Amino acid sequence: MTKTLVIQPVSRIEGHAKVTIQLDDTGNVQDTRVNVIELRGFEKFCIGRPVEEMPRITTRICGVCPWSHHLAASKACDAVFGVDPPPAGKKLRELCNSIAYMEEHILHFYFLAGADFVMGPDADPSVRNVIGIIGKVPDVARRVVRARHMAAKMLEIIAGKAIHPDASVPGGFSRPLLPSERDAVRKMAEECFELAKFSIKFAKENIFPQYLDAVNSLGVIETGFIGTVKDDGALNLYDGRLRLMSKDGSYVDFPYDQYTDYISEHIEPWSYLKFPYDKRAGTFSMDLDHPNGIYRANTLARINVCDYIDTPLAQAELEEFRKNFGRPAQLTLLYHWARLIELLYNVENALRLLDDPEITSVETRKKVEPRAARGVGCVEAPRGSLIHDYTTDENGMLTNVNLIVGTTHNNAPINMSVKQAAKSLIKNGQYDQGILNRVEMAIRAYDPCLSCATHKFDGTLAVKINIYNSRGELIDSMAN
Amino acid sequence: MQLPENTYLPDFCTKRTLILGCGNRLFGDDGFGCEVVEHLQRHYQIPDDVYVMDVGTGVRRLLVTLCLSPDLPKSIIVIDAVDKAKAPGEIFELPLDELPNEKLDDFSLHQVPSSNLMRELSEMGVDVHVLTCQVSRVPDVVSPGLSDEVARAVPRLCERIAESYFVRAASQR
Repeated sequence: MTKTLVIQPVSRIEGHAKVTIQLDDTGNVQDTRVNVIELRGFEKFCIGRPVEEMPRITTRICGVCPWSHHLAASKACDAVFGVDPPPAGKKLRELCNSIAYMEEHILHFYFLAGADFVMGPDADPSVRNVIGIIGKVPDVARRVVRARHMAAKMLEIIAGKAIHPDASVPGGFSRPLLPSERDAVRKMAEECFELAKFSIKFAKENIFPQYLDAVNSLGVIETGFIGTVKDDGALNLYDGRLRLMSKDGSYVDFPYDQYTDYISEHIEPWSYLKFPYDKRAGTFSMDLDHPNGIYRANTLARINVCDYIDTPLAQAELEEFRKNFGRPAQLTLLYHWARLIELLYNVENALRLLDDPEITSVETRKKVEPRAARGVGCVEAPRGSLIHDYTTDENGMLTNVNLIVGTTHNNAPINMSVKQAAKSLIKNGQYDQGILNRVEMAIRAYDPCLSCATHKFDGTLAVKINIYNSRGELIDSMAN
Repeated sequence: MQLPENTYLPDFCTKRTLILGCGNRLFGDDGFGCEVVEHLQRHYQIPDDVYVMDVGTGVRRLLVTLCLSPDLPKSIIVIDAVDKAKAPGEIFELPLDELPNEKLDDFSLHQVPSSNLMRELSEMGVDVHVLTCQVSRVPDVVSPGLSDEVARAVPRLCERIAESYFVRAASQR
């Protein structure tokens, strides 16, 4: 009898997702699908609006990564208007990006994915959450909470507000950073630096060794990768060129505005979300044994594509990481390890920017004039390369908008990792809570952001599994 | 040496009363909470110890940060749009025990269980109220703008909030 397991939505990721696992007659996994809700109609809504509104409007897309949309939109506007912001404007944007990363990566490692590791994937759902973590490692939790408060405060000082930011504008940054503000922010960044150093040491000593089996087996697939590098190949999260790496480690670099020459979009009838793939591969396939054109974005991708990291402690961690796992590293759960390397890089980068005398320059923006043009802006959002592509008429009104968000890049690999995990963990119809949570862990490694739907108190279960027979009748249901 | 708390806590962690407008302006009446906050900020004098913020779809992040703060606010008022099959534009308070019961164990930042965070805060002694408006339309595709019924509810709720919280906050100073 064919059974279908539905996990809907996956808990502890941002937004909604539905996992359907189709079992065959023998109770083994026949197929899996991960459906996510996509923001529909946004591009159409933007047409006819003044392009300078985009940095403000796009922060409304979701409450999860507003800074990334804010900055990608600002950069696309710069390109449309044909302006190069003053150094202080660019550095303030990059500083905000690094601080937003700090907040994101701390949140994800400790509170979203961390629960799986700190409490264990088989722990009761009632303790496998942030409160459980606080109970088990209260001193660590206290430091984490302080750092999250500080990240929010730093953004508040630099940009006025952390949610729905509006400080970045076409042509630069709307306000300079006062020296006194810089000093206050620097003290907080120093304390975050200590947490970043502690986090990777703590994880390497206490977390990763305990779950090496899972790291070596869960959601493992072989793919290419995409991320941003500077001209010399250094990791950069705010600006540079896109690097598309094949699974053999070879790569091609290209400017943002040429992304359509290298990335195609595949469509599956069962998903609203598109499946971007490497155009050079010619065809698209998510077959686990013979994948084609699949690449991944987000932390592991960026750590793989860069030649080096230009901050000392993160570079030392990168060298150790590569010594252990090679380049490109393919194990899916290494996203968490890579995330902690990036956390360290972002704090080092923030401190470097704060020590740069130019950061307090009062020249933070240039004037812009509307014109007919196309502009592409890209930043590395925590969840992957975020591309905003705008075209305007001579009055600066939008005539075309295309967005590719980080999670979309990972649509195909998330589906593949879930299939791999489900196939290896569900045998002869046998499954339990721990197994299903491990399938979810494969998704959470990618830190997918699916929060583009409306906000409503729906009362939907966070995780629900329905089992159907081949006639479509519900024969079992379970939830965590 | 560690920084003292009063130097690093974000503003929303230092106020006695938080008024948080939730929702997504891109989806019709779902933007009700955001519109209420904008109206309050434009037409009322906000007392110093009251924090009024349009949190959009980012309320979970704020609530989780708040839950873990050393000092909790006295009151949190969450403003949102809901569909409870009432007359469009009707304003009503949603008791916390009528919020979704599911997933109480998941203290997540997932989209739905914001309600868990609010219950958690309530159990920690914070006076939590959820003031809602019955929606008329929440489209599936991006389509901003409140319906007439819900738009008319915005100033009504603002007046109620001002009477209940601004005066009280002012009298406590």
